[in-house]
Amino acid sequence: MSRILTIAQSEFLTLVKTKAFIIGIFLMPVLMGLFIFFMSYAERHSDTENRRFAVIDQTGVLYPAVEAASGAYNKQSGPDDARTGPRFLPERIDPAGRPTDDVKVELSEQVRARKLFAFVEIPAVIIDGGPGVSVHYYAENTSYERLPDWLRGVLNEEIAKLRFDRAGVNQALVTKLTARAPLATFGLVERTSDGKVSEAKEVNDLTRVALPMFFIVLMFLSVMTSAQHLLNAIIEEKMSKISEVLLGSVTPFQLLAGKLLGVVGVSLLLALVYFGGGVYAVMSIGRFDLIDPWAMGWFVVFMICASLMFGSIFLALGSACSDLKDAQSMLQPAMVLVLAAYLGSFVVMRAPDSALSVGLSFFPTMTPFVMMLRIVMPPGPPMWQVILAIAILFASTAGLIWAGGRIFRVGLLMQGKAPNLPELVKWIRL
Amino acid sequence: MSPEFSTDRGTTPSAITISHVSKTFGAHRAVDDLSLDVPAGSIYGFIGPNGSGKTTTIRMILNIILPDAGDIHVLGQPVRSAARDDIGYLPEERGLYKKMQVRRLLRYYGRLKGRSVAALDPVIDDWLKRLQLGDWADKRIDQLSKGMAQKVQFISAVVARPKLLILDEPFSGLDPVNAESLRDAVLELRKQGTTIVFSTHDMGAAEKLCDRIFMIFKGNKVLDGSLEEIQQRYGHDTIRVRTNGGAAALAGLPEIDSINDHGNYQDVRLKGDPQAFLQRLVQKTGVQQFEITKPSLHDIFVRIARPNAEDLRQQMEAAR
Repeated sequence: MSRILTIAQSEFLTLVKTKAFIIGIFLMPVLMGLFIFFMSYAERHSDTENRRFAVIDQTGVLYPAVEAASGAYNKQSGPDDARTGPRFLPERIDPAGRPTDDVKVELSEQVRARKLFAFVEIPAVIIDGGPGVSVHYYAENTSYERLPDWLRGVLNEEIAKLRFDRAGVNQALVTKLTARAPLATFGLVERTSDGKVSEAKEVNDLTRVALPMFFIVLMFLSVMTSAQHLLNAIIEEKMSKISEVLLGSVTPFQLLAGKLLGVVGVSLLLALVYFGGGVYAVMSIGRFDLIDPWAMGWFVVFMICASLMFGSIFLALGSACSDLKDAQSMLQPAMVLVLAAYLGSFVVMRAPDSALSVGLSFFPTMTPFVMMLRIVMPPGPPMWQVILAIAILFASTAGLIWAGGRIFRVGLLMQGKAPNLPELVKWIRL
Repeated sequence: MSPEFSTDRGTTPSAITISHVSKTFGAHRAVDDLSLDVPAGSIYGFIGPNGSGKTTTIRMILNIILPDAGDIHVLGQPVRSAARDDIGYLPEERGLYKKMQVRRLLRYYGRLKGRSVAALDPVIDDWLKRLQLGDWADKRIDQLSKGMAQKVQFISAVVARPKLLILDEPFSGLDPVNAESLRDAVLELRKQGTTIVFSTHDMGAAEKLCDRIFMIFKGNKVLDGSLEEIQQRYGHDTIRVRTNGGAAALAGLPEIDSINDHGNYQDVRLKGDPQAFLQRLVQKTGVQQFEITKPSLHDIFVRIARPNAEDLRQQMEAAR
């Protein structure tokens, strides 16, 4: 056992000391935070130009609303020396009897000459509305959406107001009467031992989507970190004949077990760091109800099984290859298994109690992802399903470690062409 | 092929006993009914051409692969028992963890042999100092020169103070100074009682270092004994000649079976009468040296391993 622990310790230290791991585990959340901050900052500071635009208002009544709204918008964007958004500067165009097309050509020239950013043509019939009637927005930079979006809002609000006025209807009353009733989702209530009814737990997007996503992404990150490391390590050991020296000291099974134990340690470290970060994050927003020790416990169980199971597969296949090029092509089926489990989780998330979700829960390589997801998504699976899935998962993990060990034992000393599937099966039977 | 050759070594205890061991890979019989006895405390040379079964034999001694038949005992225990903790191994193709520090690597290899860090550190320091690597203990392997890395690999094989040390081409690629340091270290280990199996293609090194030599060819033992015993067996038909005409003067002489040309002199193996050969040679050129000599290990090796006409024909057919 001490040899296994020695190998495990070496694997653990080797992996956690790599730059890639340190970046992945510690800096990635920081980088993500910085990225979000940067995006938010850029959103507020990257577009502070004057957007001068012309308005051909054939209704004769809408321009004042646009002018007034632009004043309010510009004020909201802050003073000139500390702007957080663009300045919308409208300019009324009076065709003065000229054909509208001539005016549009002239305005287009001004846009091309950068005197204007865009111009808008509001048809006279827009207030009455009707099929095919629309406000036309003309610009050279048609990918810029901020101005047309703003105009759409301002004009629609003013047009609606005019329509209500013309119809003699009180718009404020209509708005009040047609306000949508919100629908909040709760879990079930129950009567407690003292006879009172427990308060139902409200389910929102954070508990319905974000929490399950957190677990699944963490599981995927853990499996991929471990698998990639194991693959690189075993190929290096095999190519440089280190494995032959190691096998002079330990049995192939001890080597395999030590390596697997090492990556389980790495996975636990990952979980510890991210759980710590997650708990800190939800506590900082006052959502203590999101901290679920049971879910964390289940996650650790599933993560250990996933690390052992996928680790065995990657180690076995890596040991059968003589170089990274061979390994890349041979690992594709194994990668499909990991990706299927990860991507399949998103399907399960839509209907965690469907027959498909229940079936996938019992497929060993998918169990750690799918069952974990179902456990954290209300109402959770029946306990018999969890127990059955765990039993199948434990048996499959043990079986895969055994089969992986058989392939590993033969593969480590093999050189030359990578074996095909029938040969791998033959190695297991040897 | 020459017949098997072995001698009785009396009652010296054995470090390795191989009894009727065979190993087959698919249709290829890598080792065929091999028996061998390596006396404790000796330096035992393992020689043989590539693909002759040498590495397979070493791997079976190390319990990396199992024999199909026969028994192997190492240091008095069946090879499947804990004896491997007392075996050090330096493989021919060197490999170290490039990103690992020297000390950490040596500790790791030592701990895999069941030794504690406390027991290992003084040994590591001693070896690093002895092989002029004292200042490199905290450097990563990829910061070392090739020669330094090779010395670290040697230390990794001896760090657990093995009773049996298997060295596969330990001096290849080393400059003469480093090769001499390692040679001295090997001799020192033997003096301390370590049994050393020395696998090599360097016949000169084998002649100088080994107490006994074992040669395997096509999976069979073909030589086993001290250098003197082996040379006695093969040494009656070799004559060293130095002539004015050099190797060209020997061409066409009917008594000659084969010539090993060393440039300034030639070792000639005869199939006819030496007197008749000398007479014919004197008539042909000026003779400076004519000496009946023992064949070198190199000559014996080549004599055994050189493919005969039938082998060549079979190889060509197989290639077709």
